[in-house]
Amino acid sequence: MDFIFDGIKKAIELIFSLDRDILDILRVSLLVSISATAIAVLIGVPSGAIIAIKKFPLKKILISLINTGMGLPPVVIGLVISLFLFRNGPFGFLQWLYTVKGMILAQVIIALPIIIGLTVAAFQSVDKKMYLQIIALGANTSQSIIILLKEIRLSVLAAIIAGFGSIISEVGAVMMVGGNIKSQTRVLTTAIVLETNKGNFDFAIAIGLILLVMSFIVNLTLTYIQQKNRRD
Amino acid sequence: MIEINNLTLNLSKSFCLDIKSLHIQDKEIFSVIGPNGAGKTTLLNILSLFENPETGRVIIFGKDILKQNDVLSYRRRISYVFSRPYLFNNTVENNVAMPLRLRGKNSESKVNEMLKLFKIEDLKHNNALKLSQGQMHRVSLARAFVSEPELVFLDEPFLSLERLYKEQLMTEIRKIIKNRGITALFVSQDQNEALCLSDRIAVMKEGKILEIGTPEQVFTSPSSKEAADFIGIETVAEGIIFKKEDNLCSVRVKSKVIQVISELNVNEEVIVLIRPQDVVVSKHKEKTSARNVFKAIIIHIESWGLEYKVRLDCGFDLLAFITKQSMKSLKLKEKDEVFISFKATAIHLIKR
Repeated sequence: MDFIFDGIKKAIELIFSLDRDILDILRVSLLVSISATAIAVLIGVPSGAIIAIKKFPLKKILISLINTGMGLPPVVIGLVISLFLFRNGPFGFLQWLYTVKGMILAQVIIALPIIIGLTVAAFQSVDKKMYLQIIALGANTSQSIIILLKEIRLSVLAAIIAGFGSIISEVGAVMMVGGNIKSQTRVLTTAIVLETNKGNFDFAIAIGLILLVMSFIVNLTLTYIQQKNRRD
Repeated sequence: MIEINNLTLNLSKSFCLDIKSLHIQDKEIFSVIGPNGAGKTTLLNILSLFENPETGRVIIFGKDILKQNDVLSYRRRISYVFSRPYLFNNTVENNVAMPLRLRGKNSESKVNEMLKLFKIEDLKHNNALKLSQGQMHRVSLARAFVSEPELVFLDEPFLSLERLYKEQLMTEIRKIIKNRGITALFVSQDQNEALCLSDRIAVMKEGKILEIGTPEQVFTSPSSKEAADFIGIETVAEGIIFKKEDNLCSVRVKSKVIQVISELNVNEEVIVLIRPQDVVVSKHKEKTSARNVFKAIIIHIESWGLEYKVRLDCGFDLLAFITKQSMKSLKLKEKDEVFISFKATAIHLIKR
């Protein structure tokens, strides 16, 4: 039992000593996950809106595929992307394997179905007549999406929170695509796996605590924005 | 303004919209009334291009709207008021300004004019979703008229309002539509609303139009039994209140004066509704407590289920229902001179 308490004690010391290694890991983690969330939001929210609003053939099948994508194991995504990015693979020329760019790509692919799927659900939860009313007021497609987005911003923020939550905490894809290279592609989750395997429990606990706190801070901020916009 | 020909749409096995011909004049307020599921909203949805019919031609603004490519600029010339207000989580002012902003205009003076017209200028900065039902309807109507539409579709916009409030709002709407020379197509289940608002009325049932005419024509002499069943046949006449003592109003209808109990004021133009079951027919003038007794001539007698429907001329057209037994004992026939009476409390007045 003692090693746990020792671990926690040392972890707190490490955090407050602003350990160089830990700061590097934190920087890469934030860079990868925030960029990936931002890209996934930019692609996912408009796509979700269009899928929800427009009528087209095989719409139901597309939505079920997206919903299936929400539960894809990150490690499988990591494997597929690694295969594509290997030097001999179809996108090997990009030289993105074991780079931050590759990790962002992997995380975008993990977050995208979640953000699209929840955005579709949010748009579809709006009364169809509300949409007709917006069109009847003279809105074109992009204007109507913007107006609806404002109306359902709470649900869309929930989609963003869920997307961020899924990638900040995943380990499989960033491990495979990033390679866990110190100071370059090592992130909080991969560092925890490595340090635990090496027996450095204090370091692992310290990073685990940081991951929890960071995840909490980001979610707290998003939730704060969400609840501030709530009408009582 | 609107010309519809051979419009059909199968929505389900049991419902098919089928309108052979419907013409709505420029600057006319036209109402379509009918029970639930008659196809009224479907018609509006086709005219707003929310739904595509299977066959037919709809000419609006001189073009077949079903064949045009520029849907957006067509929609920007019309307005559609839904039965629920569908307001946005924003201030009243921003809600009303929305159609202008969508058109790339931003005219504060026009928004203010609408807020004033619909008596909601005090609520300007309030959140639209925190208003009362009645106020929300006003915001929704102000929003519909701010873009100066040439054509307005109103889909039961007064559905959830209290009667008194509704009548007041309807009178205001009629005035606004007429003053601005807008063409309006109004859809409702409520015949009193249609009477109060419209120049002409169509009765619709199961996707078909049964009857088209002025309110007087439709309500006093429906040509089909189905239409009569829905509207609950009544005597409808136009009049004006010229005297009032306490609540007893004297209303001039053509050459006659009718006495009615009503809250309305002197000089108001009104529509007088008299239900045929409230009219008493007698051979001789009898002493009665009824305030309205007139001499009349029987124009037409027709069997109407268990009763007879008697059309009379007492200075204006009037309908009465008489049981078969009374008909037999009074020995009534066409061209007979009779006396008719009805109570001042049996008449319903609608402000025009």
